Amino acid sequence: MAYYQNIFTQVQVRAEAPDMGVAHETIERTGKGFFVHLFGRFGNAQIGPIYLGNLGVVSLLCGFIAFEIIGLNMWASVNWSPGQFLRQLFWLALEPPPPQYGLRIMPPLREGGWWLIAGFFLTTSLLLWWLRMYRRARALGMGTHTAWAFAAAIWLYLVLGFIRPVLMGHWSEAVPFGIFPHLDWTAAFSIRYGNLFYNPFHMLSIAFLYGSALLFAMHAATILAVSRFGGEREIEQIIDRGTASERAALFWRWTMGFNATMESIHRWAWWFAVLCPLTGGIGILLTGTVVDNWYLWGVQHGIAPAYPHVFPPVIDPASVVGAVK
Amino acid sequence: MKPDITLPKYLALGYLAVVIGVLTTVSVFLALGWTGERIHATQNGYRGTAMAQIQFPAAERALKAANVVPEALDPASPDGDKATDVYQNVQVLKDLRAEQFGRVMSSITEWVSPDEGCAYCHNVENMADDSLYTKKVARRMLEMTRHINKDWKDHVAATGVTCYTCHKGNPVPANVWFADPGPQKDAGVMATNDGMTHPNKTNASSSLPLDPLSPLLLGKETIRVAGTTGLPAKPYGASIQTTERTYSLMMHMSTSLGVNCTFCHNSRSFSDWDQSTPQRVTAWHGIQMVRDLNTTYLDPLQPVYPPNRLGPLGDAPKVSCATCHQGANKPLLGAQMAKDYPELGGVKAP
Amino acid sequence: MAMLSFERKYRVRGGTLVGGDLFDFWVGPFYVGFFGVTTAIFALLGTALIIYGAAIGPTWNIWQINIAPPDLKYGLGFAPLKEGGLWQVITICATGAFVSWALREVEICRKLGMGYHVPFAFSVAILAYVTLVIFRPVLMGAWGHGFPYGILSHLDWVSNTGYQYLHFHYNPAHMLAITFFFTTTFALSLHGALVLSSVNPAKGEDVKTAEHEDTFFRDAIGYSIGTLGIHRLGLFLALSAVFWSAVCIIISGPIWTRGWPEWWNWWLNLPIWR
Repeated sequence: MAYYQNIFTQVQVRAEAPDMGVAHETIERTGKGFFVHLFGRFGNAQIGPIYLGNLGVVSLLCGFIAFEIIGLNMWASVNWSPGQFLRQLFWLALEPPPPQYGLRIMPPLREGGWWLIAGFFLTTSLLLWWLRMYRRARALGMGTHTAWAFAAAIWLYLVLGFIRPVLMGHWSEAVPFGIFPHLDWTAAFSIRYGNLFYNPFHMLSIAFLYGSALLFAMHAATILAVSRFGGEREIEQIIDRGTASERAALFWRWTMGFNATMESIHRWAWWFAVLCPLTGGIGILLTGTVVDNWYLWGVQHGIAPAYPHVFPPVIDPASVVGAVK
Repeated sequence: MKPDITLPKYLALGYLAVVIGVLTTVSVFLALGWTGERIHATQNGYRGTAMAQIQFPAAERALKAANVVPEALDPASPDGDKATDVYQNVQVLKDLRAEQFGRVMSSITEWVSPDEGCAYCHNVENMADDSLYTKKVARRMLEMTRHINKDWKDHVAATGVTCYTCHKGNPVPANVWFADPGPQKDAGVMATNDGMTHPNKTNASSSLPLDPLSPLLLGKETIRVAGTTGLPAKPYGASIQTTERTYSLMMHMSTSLGVNCTFCHNSRSFSDWDQSTPQRVTAWHGIQMVRDLNTTYLDPLQPVYPPNRLGPLGDAPKVSCATCHQGANKPLLGAQMAKDYPELGGVKAP
Repeated sequence: MAMLSFERKYRVRGGTLVGGDLFDFWVGPFYVGFFGVTTAIFALLGTALIIYGAAIGPTWNIWQINIAPPDLKYGLGFAPLKEGGLWQVITICATGAFVSWALREVEICRKLGMGYHVPFAFSVAILAYVTLVIFRPVLMGAWGHGFPYGILSHLDWVSNTGYQYLHFHYNPAHMLAITFFFTTTFALSLHGALVLSSVNPAKGEDVKTAEHEDTFFRDAIGYSIGTLGIHRLGLFLALSAVFWSAVCIIISGPIWTRGWPEWWNWWLNLPIWR
């Protein structure tokens, strides 16, 4: 018979009033907080309060401006038709300046100018949010690991939209804003630069992406599996190892001969997650700047398997003398 | 161990959600035409490289039904009076005998204007009269057909083409194209996005560039985009935008031929000819042919057409891969229709 | 030897699914059990066959070694060993080893009085693998649709399989899977960072508590899911990523053969736009 596996919280324990957070005497928070029963089924029921602060407000404002610029330009591209805007929403884009503008600081608005402005506000928003994360941690006397993990993601974002285009000398190399268009960019990027699968940093990034999913599944499943022993109280388990930690550790030791500790699993987690955008950013940065065709690079370095020919040899017809050009 | 807490009802709800999800997904695909049949696959690369064409039997049947070749008229005698001696104002088919000429005219009527008849192109009071624009176009199309069959064997091989290949009973072939300016009328200060990001038939409903055909199948801009050396050789090669334009053209080619990218390419290195299939060479000649036809025959006909036959930018109807192929990797599924019509191959009257 | 300081008291008999006490022992740190034996057999045989496949192949270059599935013409039958048969036997070995490993995890869970979350999670990964090399090939009528075993060759397979549908990024299930993968990584970084930042606080500060963790996230975004919730969320995100990956490939071929962008025509052609 099925044993309860602690997938949902069945009995919610709730304080009389929402928790206003530590250091509530010194930190001014907005809202009183409230409970949502359904949230409490899965995680904490309490929503709010929140710390707004200048950084947060300006960051949100900048993010909103970028969002508006992108949205309005998309809407304009269907002649301001509300119906077509909804119909084509996933297809619509705000594209970077075309190649002929190089790195021009202010190309015409209609030809990438809006893209640059939106990018500026989005970048400002992200950087301000980074500062906010750093300061919120410090305000509580905590480490700044969250901010530095966020910095890894910002690194990838900046490589894609700023650093690499600058090195290439063209804004046009950057990613457009848009749901399907950014997917087209990704595919075209791989085709132009000879198959990103042959980019070793792309390989690493994917390995860390999959590795992160694997680690989170392993870690989360382990903690849930020992939650009957209080395994989710990780800080307490780190400081004063209990049977939950011991069983969790032994589970992996017996399974694969190796185990992390309650603290070190979070170091594994942090590094896997951080290395995903970090290596990914390096892979993007090298593309076009240092390597023009990753497949050919792979052939040069002996990693490309050779498949037996199944057709008579094919040669480039344009190379045949007298071919129509 | 006895359960001390029962399975929560939420887990049951979870299972229900999964079941509903699966049913919804399946019904979406059913609504999109999935018949439940197993696919047919044709391998066209080394095993395990996933170079294969896959299709549903239902799609194959539909393609077959859409490509029924009309029966050829009885062959005409290559002897007898010359066409020019019997008919007036014969400008293209001057090498034919009268009987052959008549056979071509009858066939064209059947292939191009079965409902409208001779009067679609001819002033029936005076068949030699050139007053109808359709006749001028048809004359040029006859020249084009002969040109294809004679000079583009690299692409059409011995199969050749006839009027029916494209027209299939329609006065205007179903798959001609015009320059596509997209939905945006006047951008003002707002972004134009360089003609990208709207789904249409050419880009196969993606958000790739709308109109890769104008620069690449009428114009002769570069299609090849991938880097040719491992390390950067030039300051700046093809841009992402030109790459997307090529990708859009390839989407057009794939959907026109009813094949996927691996019909011609090993996608691990699209540009590498050594890893491509022989079909890629045929396709390459096809691109050259279409460019030739558009610049030499179709685009220059622009002044001949009435406005209702022109595109939104006032350009003449043009040909692309879809015009002949119409979803088949060989037009009319490879039926060698042209061999029954030596008159269209530029045969010399004996 | 090879035992942690607290390990001895946990090494008790019982909890096995099959074999009673027969295989209820440890080798070094590893628990054996009936399924440990089957895991070892499958894994050793499979590995040996991979090495054999490499030996009869053209190269020992680790990046280039390729053990490819059979030609499509063999359908769902057995192929000669050197023409894809090896791949078939290795696939059987791999599936056997993975399933054995999951069942061994179940036995270890039972021994330690833990929930079954880990073997369940692992079985979702097995499902994805089996979808790629068994379910989808069966639905498409040939083992040749499975992916080859090789570091770069499997990437070439992924590339060509994607381009069989012209632009795989438009596959809606692929979109979901990628989104879940990114979100999982994002959530993992937040969780790892939060715990580390509590137990490695600013200089001169005491170690923080779960209340600090909750406060940090409420301050930042107005909500903290909590210590238990984050693990539920993490497991959900990670398993969703794998599940939707399996969905995105099982629909590509068996029920959809055209370009994925065209799939969206149903949306573009909805009657509400007229």
